[in-house]
Amino acid sequence: MVKTKYILIAAIIVVAGVWATVFFFPSEEKKVKKQFALLSEWVSKDPGESTLTMAQKVRKIGALFAENCELKEPVYSLSGSYTREEITSIALQGRAHFFSLSLKFYDLNISFPETELARVTLTGKLTGKPTSGEQMDETRELECLLKKIEKKWLFSQFEVVEVLKK
Amino acid sequence: MEPSYRNGGFNFCWRLRYLFSDPKRCDVVVVRFAGSKVMLLKRVVAVGGEHVEFRDGRLLVDGKAIDEPYVRYPCNWNLSPRDVEKGHVYVIGDNRSTPMENHYFGQASVKRVVGAPLW
Repeated sequence: MVKTKYILIAAIIVVAGVWATVFFFPSEEKKVKKQFALLSEWVSKDPGESTLTMAQKVRKIGALFAENCELKEPVYSLSGSYTREEITSIALQGRAHFFSLSLKFYDLNISFPETELARVTLTGKLTGKPTSGEQMDETRELECLLKKIEKKWLFSQFEVVEVLKK
Repeated sequence: MEPSYRNGGFNFCWRLRYLFSDPKRCDVVVVRFAGSKVMLLKRVVAVGGEHVEFRDGRLLVDGKAIDEPYVRYPCNWNLSPRDVEKGHVYVIGDNRSTPMENHYFGQASVKRVVGAPLW
């Protein structure tokens, strides 16, 4: 009886230890996924969002990006290198055109070609109700690079993959 | 793909459909993005080696007008002739009521075609 009690306590300690390790020391893959979850949360906009919330979200979006971020987008001529401040400004202007906005990421495939570099292929879906015009619904395959700078994974490149070539 | 398929609707994909054959013109195919959670439903209008163009909303393949009974809403699209590369298919949705610039269509690798809708 006493032996069983000790085995149970040991098992609970082991399970708690494993849980704590996973929770407090997430893998690099989980840290990268977390950045996408944050980008999704902060780009998304609920109807009637307050100015304060908007300012906070936009500031947080900028913090997810490296000092310089490369955008490769052949269709809308948005390709180029953008500073963190420019991204913040674009995010602010872009979000202002929508009553509501939702950005979701699917099928994240993460690899680490170098120790401080993560390559992610994924599907991004942006839906929103603009202040003028019809409902927007855009889905694209993306290839992103994130660099680990000062222990943080920051977005350094976004490339839109041409699934359908006109 | 309206009116053939409702936008955002639910359907099953028959993944074995193109196991032993390649997609043909008029087939409705399922095209994947990065994974299997989000897919496109499009109609094949031309296959590898063919030339495709739109003239005043009329689809022409290798210079011949193609009858498209599945298109309900007329359009006035004009697309200069282009070659479909080998190993690719040219896919377009059935709903042509939107301006050409806003419609997501074009050439896709056959490797991205994961199957066909079950019904």
